[in-house]
Amino acid sequence: MLLEGFSTALQPVYLLYALGGVFVGTAVGVLPGIGPAMTVALLMPITYSLDPAAALIVFAGIYYGGMYGGSTTSILLNTPGESSSIVTALEGNKMAKAGRGAAALATAAIGSFVAGTIATVLLTFLAPVVAELAVGLGPVDYVALMVVAFLTVGALLGASVLRGLASLALGLFIGMIGIDDSTAQQRFTFDNPTLVDGIDMVLVAVGLFALGEALYVASKLRHGPVEVIPVSKGKNAWLSKEDWKRSWKPWLRGTFIGFPIGTVPAGGADVSTFLSYAAERKLAKGPNKAQFGKGAIEGVAGPEAANNAAAAGVLVPLLTLGIPTTATAAMMLTAFQRYQIQPGPLLFENQGALVWTLIASLYVGNLMLLVLNLPLVGLWVKILQIPRPYLYSGILVFAALGAFSVNFAAADVGILLVVGILGYFMRRYGYPVAPMVVAMILGPMFEVQLRRSLQLSQNDPTALFSSPFAVVVYASMALIFVGSWWLRRRQSALEAAPVKEELSV
Amino acid sequence: MSVQVSTPAKRPTGEILFALVFVSVGAAGLLAAGSIPIPPSETGIGPRAFPYIVCSMLVLVGTGIVAQVFRGKVGHAEESEDLDVTAKTDWLALAKLVGFVVLHIFLIEPAGWPVAAAVLFSGAAWTLEARPLWKAVIISVLLALVLQYVFGGLLGVSLPPGPLLEGVPFLHG
Repeated sequence: MLLEGFSTALQPVYLLYALGGVFVGTAVGVLPGIGPAMTVALLMPITYSLDPAAALIVFAGIYYGGMYGGSTTSILLNTPGESSSIVTALEGNKMAKAGRGAAALATAAIGSFVAGTIATVLLTFLAPVVAELAVGLGPVDYVALMVVAFLTVGALLGASVLRGLASLALGLFIGMIGIDDSTAQQRFTFDNPTLVDGIDMVLVAVGLFALGEALYVASKLRHGPVEVIPVSKGKNAWLSKEDWKRSWKPWLRGTFIGFPIGTVPAGGADVSTFLSYAAERKLAKGPNKAQFGKGAIEGVAGPEAANNAAAAGVLVPLLTLGIPTTATAAMMLTAFQRYQIQPGPLLFENQGALVWTLIASLYVGNLMLLVLNLPLVGLWVKILQIPRPYLYSGILVFAALGAFSVNFAAADVGILLVVGILGYFMRRYGYPVAPMVVAMILGPMFEVQLRRSLQLSQNDPTALFSSPFAVVVYASMALIFVGSWWLRRRQSALEAAPVKEELSV
Repeated sequence: MSVQVSTPAKRPTGEILFALVFVSVGAAGLLAAGSIPIPPSETGIGPRAFPYIVCSMLVLVGTGIVAQVFRGKVGHAEESEDLDVTAKTDWLALAKLVGFVVLHIFLIEPAGWPVAAAVLFSGAAWTLEARPLWKAVIISVLLALVLQYVFGGLLGVSLPPGPLLEGVPFLHG
């Protein structure tokens, strides 16, 4: 099956698409302030006219490219835009400042490749198994899984639980606008023809991510030249034998931390980078340990690998259950749906050829990422130096293009603007936007499953706890919450640790 | 989803108003949900139940945030690259940007997408103080034409070229 996928993905035209996807994905992902989710959202129009296989191949490239682009930004600029890059910036930026930027980028690129490849192999074997198991799940079980996804994405991940839940609820609300899936009744449309079809996911995502971010930055733009740390060239800049020796174990450890965490159908793929960083820091010995906080290569290698492995892991619940657990995955799901590809347990049976093409192109994309990124570092640095007025004006134009090309209606750009203004205020007052995006796409599915389960049980709510699987899921959710509380305490202890060390000296 | 920094304490009026937006959307939703028609054949919880749940959640969570803000627990503004956290909010720049997007919306149909895009780009660049301005205008025209060519011509996304460029064949989808 996978071989068939490869035979499609390796056709010269499709290889070119993969290359293009990785290149554009990285180039856009490198842009400051643009995370992977926004990269996928912004680049959606370029696939509108492609056939499904080509579009999936491009998306696989964009997915990994956007991810890698983000880490380049955080190594060379510090101040990362998305939480998954924060950890990379900790050590990576210090390395760059010490003139070891090329080594940091190289260990990130190779680590991403190693982790991405291993994780894709794991995905290849795991996804069909999970899909087979998932065929046996009933609506009650889906309700349980989605409750967990909602609560983890909304309440667990932001700094403020209430703001996360508010974002979540607003996403659920927007998801309800339009025609009710079960009864075909109009809801919250106020007889407005633009609203009857519902609000398109692309408009909300591009509005929140791109327009909201552009407005937010514009309101407090830092004027003056952009400071990008130059990447030193020459023999010493590249990975030394010592660097390889110090990197390979963190790559592998990061992979095996990241993949399982990504696979769990709950939000929190970002946690893997923190865990990997903490693990590397703990495991480092002697002089290497002292380097942490000053540019330790393990602190780049591990989290980068974990990040990429988690990104591949996230595809397991996405493809087999149809449940996106990150904003980026929600965007991928939106892209799939445009091509009438409905992820879920039956995906591997119904559209096997396409799925295997997608998985094969993940391998290809990963390899291309490695081939492309090391020689093109100079280009990425140039992209980082684009004068900010042009950069944000360009983002506005691209966002408007993306919104207009959804239905070729100028009114959609109006919706984009409204959502963008909302996104601005959400940023200003510290509301996370990711829960809204995930809720908007998951909400309608959740409602269908909820109503189905209640209908089967003649509206007896205790039926929601009737299946053993659901009970296990709810119990693990309780465990996750206790665990996260413990982790949070540990993390704040970790952050406080350097201060204590200084005090004791 | 980014690094959180504490902002200096300000009057949280804006923050309370924004939280009240959630409350009012929820309240309006609760009112509107009552008039969603229920088909007679419905045996389950029907099309109104989920709206009621979500809208109640909006009201409750919004109220909770208002209460939190009153007790001094304000939100932490998001940090980002290119952001001067100490700067005052430039409302004029925001108004200009919103204005240019609105202008763009009304230009797409009559003037064509490339013209609308060029206006949006140069307007935004001017708002964000790109210097010199003529350079921004040239870039905007080039960008608009390249995008129109790539998306309208190559990728077959049907962007309206507008009366000015109607006759140029390679700009069409």
